[in-house]
Amino acid sequence: MATNATISPRRIALYLAAAIVVAIWAFPILWAIVVSLKSESEVLAYPPRVIFTPTLANYRDALFGGFSILPSFFTSFIVSAATTVLTIVFAVPAAYAFARLRLPGKRAIGFYTLVTQMIPPVGLVIPYFLILSKIGWLDSYQGMTTVFLTFSLPFAIWLMVSYMEDIPREMEEAAFLDKASRLQTLWHVILPQVRGGIAVTVIFVFLNAWNEFLFAVQLGGNKVRPVTVAMYGFVSVEQTLWAKLAAAALIAMLPVVVIGIAAQRQIVKGLTVGAVKGGGRR
Amino acid sequence: MSAAQGHLVLSGIAKSYGAFAALKGIDLEIRNQEFFALLGPSGSGKTTTLRVIAGLETPDAGSFHLDGVDVSRASPAQRNVAMVFQNYALYPHMTVAENIGFPLKMERLAKAEIAVLVRQAAQRVKIDHLLDRRPGQLSGGQQQRCALARAVVRKPRLFLLDEPLSNLDAQLRLETRIELKRLHAALGVTTIYVTHDQEEAMTLADRMAIFRDGRIVQVGTPDEVFNTPQSIDVAGFIGSPPMNLIPARVEDGRLRVGEASIELRARGVPAGEVILGIRPSHIGLSDAGLPAKLLLSENLGESMLLNADFGGQLVKIRLPEVKHLAVGTQLHLVFDPAQIHLFDPQSRRRLGGASPNV
Repeated sequence: MATNATISPRRIALYLAAAIVVAIWAFPILWAIVVSLKSESEVLAYPPRVIFTPTLANYRDALFGGFSILPSFFTSFIVSAATTVLTIVFAVPAAYAFARLRLPGKRAIGFYTLVTQMIPPVGLVIPYFLILSKIGWLDSYQGMTTVFLTFSLPFAIWLMVSYMEDIPREMEEAAFLDKASRLQTLWHVILPQVRGGIAVTVIFVFLNAWNEFLFAVQLGGNKVRPVTVAMYGFVSVEQTLWAKLAAAALIAMLPVVVIGIAAQRQIVKGLTVGAVKGGGRR
Repeated sequence: MSAAQGHLVLSGIAKSYGAFAALKGIDLEIRNQEFFALLGPSGSGKTTTLRVIAGLETPDAGSFHLDGVDVSRASPAQRNVAMVFQNYALYPHMTVAENIGFPLKMERLAKAEIAVLVRQAAQRVKIDHLLDRRPGQLSGGQQQRCALARAVVRKPRLFLLDEPLSNLDAQLRLETRIELKRLHAALGVTTIYVTHDQEEAMTLADRMAIFRDGRIVQVGTPDEVFNTPQSIDVAGFIGSPPMNLIPARVEDGRLRVGEASIELRARGVPAGEVILGIRPSHIGLSDAGLPAKLLLSENLGESMLLNADFGGQLVKIRLPEVKHLAVGTQLHLVFDPAQIHLFDPQSRRRLGGASPNV
């Protein structure tokens, strides 16, 4: 570390910029935490009270009250987990094929995959609604998961291709010469090296599925109601229960935070595993 | 496993990448247990040839027979060849032991058996104390040994080495060279070695093929290639520094370079333009030789390399002893007539017999 006798102006500017970014990022979360610990009447008090008696009542209501988000929490978890698992199962082999195999129409398929990402989701709500209602998949786990897959798969494939392309071809050729089949090569040589990429993809896909609201509110129902929709229950025509909404939102954030922390280790590992020439680490 | 053979014949191998013809008809026979070098500048087709032998590239034309069987379309696994890549291509997520044992794991050997063979292979290249490390924790030389061990752990029919020493520092390169030679002698497996370093090829190989522009320009032992280069390309590539190549004329049974006249021993060379080739060590100085002017002298410690202007041509002369001469000194060159090579400037082929001036 540099001695702290002289702190360069550059460094000060850097810390200042970082502080501003962190403040902007952290403010809504801090605000939600504070609100979730107040009573509903205190939330609306003006001027806002800085000193108050914190209460966990909102958490209790959000979890076990009349509008309990717990069932929705599990629904969200099932839909997000299913979406994530299926995405990885299909995206990894597909990405490998895009990165390595010589396929007819590879460019066209790759371009199509990317184009699907350019369609505004709003434009798809009604078509998806009609399709799902025709096949009786409205308000069903398979319906919601399938719709989520249509967004997550192209994105995941596109992300994984870049990780696959980073692996030197010689690595695979060495495996072929070592008598590994293509599937064995994928399993023993490629997959362990894209673990970081898979972790990143898992986070993004799970996060997107967990946070999804637009499709969840239209294609779900009483049976399949993700937590994002359930939270909406605290907002009604007569009143908005800000404190309970904040408590529910914070609870809903938990799995995302947990997965982020768990996957972060994998990402760092993936970055430090070392390239072909094995850097200067000794 | 049956005794490894390793006799291979390439005939008419051609390979193009789009408009670029990497190989333009390669014919080559490599004998059982030979240490064979593929030598040439980069882009000359030597690595592509190695990859065709490995089965990593499918040739557009031609055939490849390994021990009498056409394996042109066989997969790398079916050919049972082992390769050491230029960048080693070690699996970074596996330990050294797992790396070396990977080909055995793919052959479904029992774990206990793999452990024994891995240890033997590691001992052979002296890395058995590093078995639990990962490639990222090894030095360049250790990584190279790990790649070698992965190749020798099974009994392949061929060893393919793609510039295996190019990522090592000079000292280590010399040591590893000796070990490669010893390894080859101990295992007796046909070894094909790609290099652009003629010194490596000269010191290691039993025979070598010299590549240029997707073709083989000469095949022979190091002696043959050095002493009787069959073309200007080989003459200008082999030797450090390579042969002097000087435009000359055959006239009245003598060689003429500008005003100078040199004895011609070769018979049957028709009068006309030729390229005179002579190695720097076959030119001497005397009091009454051909006039030249010293441009630069390089002290090599044990010998001197002189760069001289000889009738408008840059000529390199190697003196067996260190002699300090001032730039601009008038030199008198003596060409050893027994060591003069002649080449046809049009066909670039050798003129006048197999060895110098026969």
